[in-house]
Amino acid sequence: MTAQTGTPDPSGHPVIGLDEVVHQRVRLGILAIAHEARRVEFGYLRTQLDLTAGNLSKHLSVLETAGLIDIEKGYEGKRGRTWITITPDGNAALAEEIGRLKVLIARVETTTEDR
Amino acid sequence: MTTDSVSTGDDPHRLLSDVRLLAGRVRRDQRLTWVALLVLAAVTLVAVPFDWLFMKVQCDDGGCMFSRRAMLYYWPPALLLAYAAIAVSYVRAARARGLGARVLPYAITGAATAVVLTAAYTAAAAYFPSHPPFGGGPMPFWWIVLDRLIAPWGLIGLALLVLARLERNVPLLLFTLGYLVLVLLVVPTTEGMRLPDWLIPSFLSGTTTQLRLSMTPPQLIAGAVLLAGGIGFSQARRRQR
Repeated sequence: MTAQTGTPDPSGHPVIGLDEVVHQRVRLGILAIAHEARRVEFGYLRTQLDLTAGNLSKHLSVLETAGLIDIEKGYEGKRGRTWITITPDGNAALAEEIGRLKVLIARVETTTEDR
Repeated sequence: MTTDSVSTGDDPHRLLSDVRLLAGRVRRDQRLTWVALLVLAAVTLVAVPFDWLFMKVQCDDGGCMFSRRAMLYYWPPALLLAYAAIAVSYVRAARARGLGARVLPYAITGAATAVVLTAAYTAAAAYFPSHPPFGGGPMPFWWIVLDRLIAPWGLIGLALLVLARLERNVPLLLFTLGYLVLVLLVVPTTEGMRLPDWLIPSFLSGTTTQLRLSMTPPQLIAGAVLLAGGIGFSQARRRQR
């Protein structure tokens, strides 16, 4: 999977431009939290998204490979901590995904009203 | 959210509402509004004795002139320390919850208000004794409001507006607007409130003492409002959890 961060094609259906990496509930949630928090710890994400550690790691790995987040591992005392930071590409992809979702909703509502 | 991978055909309404919900939770978890208000209340209340001690009052047959030197000796370092303490508290609390903090612009605004206060009062102390504003006559209300705005209590409110914006915190915005109305339009923070004679004990009578005393109630009111706000936000947070 690769991140698509191009601008939506106004002539095409908004679904066509949806980025598979970002358009996934858990990954969209990770990006939304990381965007709002600036920096977020693995444990916080796991609690908020109600995921197992293994599942969260898989999603994080997809986002990291796509260049949408940075993962930093370190220690606080003897405790290992993993911090996730959203990259500028991640912020752009999140904004674009939200924009596409809004367009999609608007289009669905217009179609429903026309019937 | 579930542990299952979800298809790209997810309901966009639900995806958007999830994003908003998660962002809102993060914002709430990052907030430490009550600490900011309690620190500012403490700084305001501790200022009362400093204001009394550092006030220079000179009276003659024509009237009294006073200079509130605590504005320069107490408030700038106190504001800087307060904003540093608030920033450290926010960062530590957010970090303990596994989040980054978004308090830096507030702390910078707070520090900037300390600089504005110092500059304004230094300029006023140098210029106004020889050039009294409006020829020493009555001052228009806009001037009084401006004077109150660049006083510590007004500047605290301005910085709180920045915090409310950063946190997208509507209750804090409403509280701050109420506080600003109080310290800018209602309470004479820079002119003082003359207390009724029956309220002043005999050992505190005398023109200079009364002048010093008149500056105390506005500070107590501003401090009490910040304290009440801090307690209120703390209780609200406890109830949310």
